[in-house]
Amino acid sequence: MKRFHQFFKWMKGNKRYYFIAATILIFLQYFRTLTPLFVRHAIDIVTNGEDSGLPEFLVELIAADTAAKQLLLLAFAYVVFALFRVTLMFIRRMINAIFTERIAYNMRNKLYGTLQDLSYTYHSNAETGDLIQRCTTDVETYRVFVGEQLIEILRLVFLIGFTIYQMQRMDLTLTFISLAMTPVIFFVALLYFVYVKRIFKEVEEAEGKMTTTLQESMTGIRVVKAFAKEEFEINKFNKHSKDYMKKDTKLLVLMAIFWGSTDFMILVQYGLTAGFGVVMAVNGYITADEFVAFLYYIGMIVWPMRQLGRIVGDFGKTTVALDRIDEIVLKESEHKDDSTLKPRITGTVEFDNVGFQFDDDDKPLLKGISFNVHKGESIAIVGKTGSGKSTLINLMIRLLDNQTGTIKFDGVDIKDMNKKHLRKNVGIIMQEPFLYSRTVYENIRIMNRSANKEQIYKAASIASLHDDIGKFEEGYETMVGERGVTLSGGQKQRVAIARMLLDDKPVLIFDDSLSAVDTETDIQIRTALDKQWKNTTVFIITHRITTAMEADKIIVLDKGEIAEMGNHDSLVKKGGIYAQLWDIQSNVEYDFKSLDKGVE
Amino acid sequence: MNYYEEEEYTNSKFDLVVWKKIFSYMKEFKKHIIIGLLAVISLSITDILYPLMNVYALEQIIGAGNLDKLPMFLGFYAFFILLTASMVYVFIINAGTIQRKLSYVLREKAFKRLHELPFSYYDKTPVGWIMARMTSDSRNLSEILSWGLIDLTWGLFMMIGITIVMFIVNVKLALITLSVLPLLIIVSIYFRRKILFAYRKIRKENSKITGLFNEGIMGAKTTKTLVLEQQNFNDFDRLTSNMKRHSIRAAMFAGLYFPTILFIASVATGLAIYYGGLEVVNGVISFSILYLFLAYIGQFFEPVMQLANILARFQQAQASAERLISLIEQKAEIFDTPEVIEKYGDAINFKKENWEDLVGAVKFDNVTFKYNKGEEVLTNFTLDVKAGESIALVGQTGAGKSTIVNLICRFYEPTTGTILIDGKDYKDRSIGWLHDNLGYVLQSPHLFSGSIFDNIRYGKPEATLEEVIEAAKLVEAHDFIIKSKDGYDTEVGEGGAKLSVGEKQLVSFARALIADPKILILDEATSSVDTKTEKSIQRAIEIVLKDRTSFVIAHRLSTITSSDRILVLEDGKVIESGTHSDLIALENKYFKLYTNQFKSKVIEESKNG
Repeated sequence: MKRFHQFFKWMKGNKRYYFIAATILIFLQYFRTLTPLFVRHAIDIVTNGEDSGLPEFLVELIAADTAAKQLLLLAFAYVVFALFRVTLMFIRRMINAIFTERIAYNMRNKLYGTLQDLSYTYHSNAETGDLIQRCTTDVETYRVFVGEQLIEILRLVFLIGFTIYQMQRMDLTLTFISLAMTPVIFFVALLYFVYVKRIFKEVEEAEGKMTTTLQESMTGIRVVKAFAKEEFEINKFNKHSKDYMKKDTKLLVLMAIFWGSTDFMILVQYGLTAGFGVVMAVNGYITADEFVAFLYYIGMIVWPMRQLGRIVGDFGKTTVALDRIDEIVLKESEHKDDSTLKPRITGTVEFDNVGFQFDDDDKPLLKGISFNVHKGESIAIVGKTGSGKSTLINLMIRLLDNQTGTIKFDGVDIKDMNKKHLRKNVGIIMQEPFLYSRTVYENIRIMNRSANKEQIYKAASIASLHDDIGKFEEGYETMVGERGVTLSGGQKQRVAIARMLLDDKPVLIFDDSLSAVDTETDIQIRTALDKQWKNTTVFIITHRITTAMEADKIIVLDKGEIAEMGNHDSLVKKGGIYAQLWDIQSNVEYDFKSLDKGVE
Repeated sequence: MNYYEEEEYTNSKFDLVVWKKIFSYMKEFKKHIIIGLLAVISLSITDILYPLMNVYALEQIIGAGNLDKLPMFLGFYAFFILLTASMVYVFIINAGTIQRKLSYVLREKAFKRLHELPFSYYDKTPVGWIMARMTSDSRNLSEILSWGLIDLTWGLFMMIGITIVMFIVNVKLALITLSVLPLLIIVSIYFRRKILFAYRKIRKENSKITGLFNEGIMGAKTTKTLVLEQQNFNDFDRLTSNMKRHSIRAAMFAGLYFPTILFIASVATGLAIYYGGLEVVNGVISFSILYLFLAYIGQFFEPVMQLANILARFQQAQASAERLISLIEQKAEIFDTPEVIEKYGDAINFKKENWEDLVGAVKFDNVTFKYNKGEEVLTNFTLDVKAGESIALVGQTGAGKSTIVNLICRFYEPTTGTILIDGKDYKDRSIGWLHDNLGYVLQSPHLFSGSIFDNIRYGKPEATLEEVIEAAKLVEAHDFIIKSKDGYDTEVGEGGAKLSVGEKQLVSFARALIADPKILILDEATSSVDTKTEKSIQRAIEIVLKDRTSFVIAHRLSTITSSDRILVLEDGKVIESGTHSDLIALENKYFKLYTNQFKSKVIEESKNG
C-alpha cells in the first residue's frame, strides 16, 4: 500500500488526464482488434462467406447490391475508421504528454524547492553529485515510467484481452491453442529482465572504472609526461577498456540468447496456430477467413507478451528511483511550522548564556556566551581556527540552533521569529561566497532586482571592484562560474560585499570576508563601508588585528568560550591572548630581522 | 561534471572522407560485418516468406480440402522457425561485437594519440572536451555503425523484398498499393526534421536545469543567508515551465508522426481491399493473394519509422565522427625527428640500450619563447646551470617561472635559441630519454586511484616494497601511511581524494624520490597545511633535492633559503641572482618579497595556533 501511494502521489491533480487518456487507450485497443474483421469481411465478400464478425451497424452501412459496390464501401469505411482511430490516437498521445510533463514539472519544482529549504546541516553533509543524480536521472526514470511504461502495461493488457475476446468469438479450441505458449513467453521475459539488471550493474561498474582511469590520466597528464609513463598509462587504460568490453560481451551473449529464444517461442506459437488452424479449417471447424483472422490476432498477443514481461521486469528501477527521490522530498523543511512573528529589528543584540553542540559531538562548540551589543556598534570577534567564531555567527542567523541560552534581537528571542525575516535583517558576507553562474552584473543585482545601473556601478565602486570588472573582456556582462571566468577569491569576496550594499540591513556580519584581499585594498574598502553603514550594527570576524582594533568591542574566543572582551586599549593592557596577538602582528617588521638571522 | 554545449549535428552534407576513415578502422572486423549483414538479410527474407507460407496453406491445403500437404507445410515452417531464431542470435552477437570492437578501437587510438600530444595541447583543450570525445562520441558512433547499420539493412531489404514479391505476384495491385510511397517519404522527412529540432531544444533546456540544480545545492548556504529562496525558485520555475512547454511541443510532433504513418498505411490497405477485392471477384487472383497483399502492407510500413530514425542518427553520428577523427589525427607540435626516433625510440617504445646517461648540466642559450600567438615571454634568455646545482625561481605570476620549467621539461620548445643538456641540444635526443631522467613534483599533487604503494611505485615500476618504504621513510610519509587503515595498501581514492593535501604531497615526494631523477622540478605548493605537515614537507624537499640538478618554483620563500642560486624574475628577465643572504643584503626586490611573506606567515600562524 505504501508502494502504491509512492507510485501515485506524484500524479495528484493530474489524475483526470490520466483517466481520460486511459479510457481513450482502451477504446483504441478494441478498435485495433476490429481491423482484421475488415479483412475478413473483404474475404467474405469475394468468397461469398457469411458473418465476418464486424459490428452490426457497420455491416448494414456497407451493404450494397453488387460485390464491387460493397468492396468500395468497405474500403472507404476502413479508411474513415482508420482516420477516426489515428485522430483518437493523436489526442491520447497529446493528453499523455501534457500529463507526463506536468508531473515531471511538479517533481522538479518540488525537489528544487525542498532542497532550498533543507537545513544548513543537511547541506553541509550532502554530496552534490548524488543529489543531482536524483534530481535528474531518477526524475527521468519516473517520467518514463508514468509516460510510457505504465500506459504501455495498460495498453498491452487490454489489447491482449480484446484479442482473446475476438478469437473466442470464432473458435474456443483454437483460441486456447493460440494462447499455449504465451505464459511461458511472459515469464521468460520477466525473469530475464530481472536477472540481467545485475549484469548491467557489473557492466556499468566496469565502464565507470574505465572512465575514471581516463579522467585521471587526463587531469594528471603532467605527472604522466614528467615520469615518461605514457606506455604505462596506455596499457592501464586499454586493460580497463578491454575489461569493460568483456563484461559488456557477457551481456551481449545473454541478450542474443534471450531474443533468439523468445523469437523461437513466438514463432512456435505462430506455427501451432497455423498448423492446428489448417487442420481445423480442412475439417470445417473454422472457415478460411477465420483462419486468416487468427493469423492476424496471434500477432497481437505474442509480441506484446514479451514486451509486458520486460516492463514488469523493469519495475524495480522505478521503485529504486522513487525511494531515492523520497529521501529528499520527505525531509523536513527548516521553515516548517515557522513562526510568523516579524518584529522590527534595529540592531540591538543580546546573547545570554548561549551554548551549542552537534548531536554527534562529545564536546560543546560554544558554551556560556553572554554579551550585549547596542545599535550601530561594531564588534570584532577574534580567535584561532576552531574557537567557535563561525558557529557563533551561524547561530545568529539560525543556520544552527543553540541548545542552551537565548539570542535576542531588540528584545525578541530569535527562535520566536520568522527565520526568513531574521535573515533578511541580518546580512552576512562569507569568506568563500558562492556566485551564481550568471553575469557579474546579475550577481550583484541579485540582492535587489529593481536596482538600476548607477546603483550597481556605485556598489561595485565602493567594494573596489569596478576597476577589476572593467578589465574583463565583457565587463559587467562577463559570465561567472563554470561557463565563464573564474574570479579570484578576493574578487568573489568583493562581489559579495557589493551585492550586500544594494540592501539596507540593520545588522551585518563580515565572516573573514576580506581575507583574500590585500591589506591596502582592505583598508580602502573598510573606510568606504564605514560611511555607508554608519547606523548598522556590524560584526567582524577577522585574523587581522589591525582590522579588529578599530571595533567598539572586541570579543576573544577560545575553545568555545569568551576568553576576553573589551576595547583595544583595555585588552592590550590586560596582557592576555589578544595582547599576544597584537604583539606578534604589530611587531613583525621589527622581529623579522632578528628572526631571519636565526634561519641563516 | 561538465556541461559542454556543442553542436550535435553538422551542417555539412554527407562527408565521405570522414566515413571512409571510420570504415578503415572497421576493416579488422570485416568478418563480423559480413556475417551480421548476411544474418539480417536472411531474416528479412524469412520475414517475407511467412505470409507466403500462409498463402500456401490457404491454397494448397485449405483450398484443396485435404491434409496431404500438411507435413510438408509444417516441415517448412519448423525449418523457418529454427532459421529465424538462430539468425536473430547470430545478428545480435555480430552487431554487438562490431559495436564493442569499434568503440574499443576508437578509444584505443584516441587515447594513444592523447599521450603522444605535447603538453601545449592540454593547455588549450579542457579535460571535459576530451572526456566527451572518448565516451559519448565513441559510443554514438559505434552504436550507429553496428545496430544502426544492421537495422537499416534489415529495413531496406524488407521493403525492397516485399516490393519485388508484390510485383511478381501482381503488377497492377502492387502499383496501386505502393502509390502512397512518395507521400510516405515526404511525411517522414518533414517529421524527422521537426522532431530532431524539438528534442535538441529539450536537451539544451535539460542541461540548464541540471545547472540550476547544481547551483541550488552548491550555493545553498549563500541562498539561505541572502534569503533568495523565492527568487531562485521563480527563476527555476521559469526554466521548468519552458521545459514543459517544449516537451509538450516535441511530443506533439512525435505524437503526430506515428498516427500519420499508420493512416497512410490504412489508405494503402483500403486501396488493396477495393482493387484487390475486385480482382478476386473478376477471378484474376485468388482471395489468398488478397490476404498476401494485406499482410505485406502491414510489414512494409513497420520499418519506416525506424529507418527515418536511423538516418537522422547518422547525421548526428557524423558530427561525432568528425570530432573523433580530429582528435585521432591531431598533429603533435613537439616531436622527435625520425633520426632521433630511429636511435632512441618513440614515446611508447624506448630503446634504452642506446641512451646516454644524463648528468644534469642545463644551459639556456639565447632562448626566446612565446606561446602560440602571445607576446614573447622570454627574450634572449641565457642561463647556465651546473650538474647538481639547485636553482630557485622567484617572481610574480607571469614573470616566466613556469615557462622556464616548461621549456626544461620540453613540454614546449624554444621559439629561437637552444637548450642544451650536458652540452648537447636536447632536441638531438628523444623526449622519452629526457622525461625518463626527469622528476616533477607538482604544486597540487596528482595521485592515481590505487594504493599508496602503487602511487609511490609509479616513479619506478620495478621497485620492491622495501624500496617503497625506504623512500616513504626518507620523506617522512611512512608514519602517516602505517597509521592508515591498510598501511601501504590503503586506497587513495579518485585523484587521491581520500588523503589530505599534505599527505598527497608527501606521497608525491616519495614518488619522485624513488624515480631517482637526474633533474628535478619542484613546483612548490601554496595550499596551506598544518604546521607539523609543513615541516615534514620542508624536510622532504631538502632530501629530494639533494645531489641533483633542481629547479624550484618557489611560492613560500622560506623553503628556498638554502638554494645554491635564487633567480628573481620579472617580465622574463633575471633581475636579481644569488644566494639567500646575498639577496637579503641587497635589500631590494627579494628582500621586499621576503619580508612581506614573513608578515603574512606570522598572521597565518597566529590563526592556527
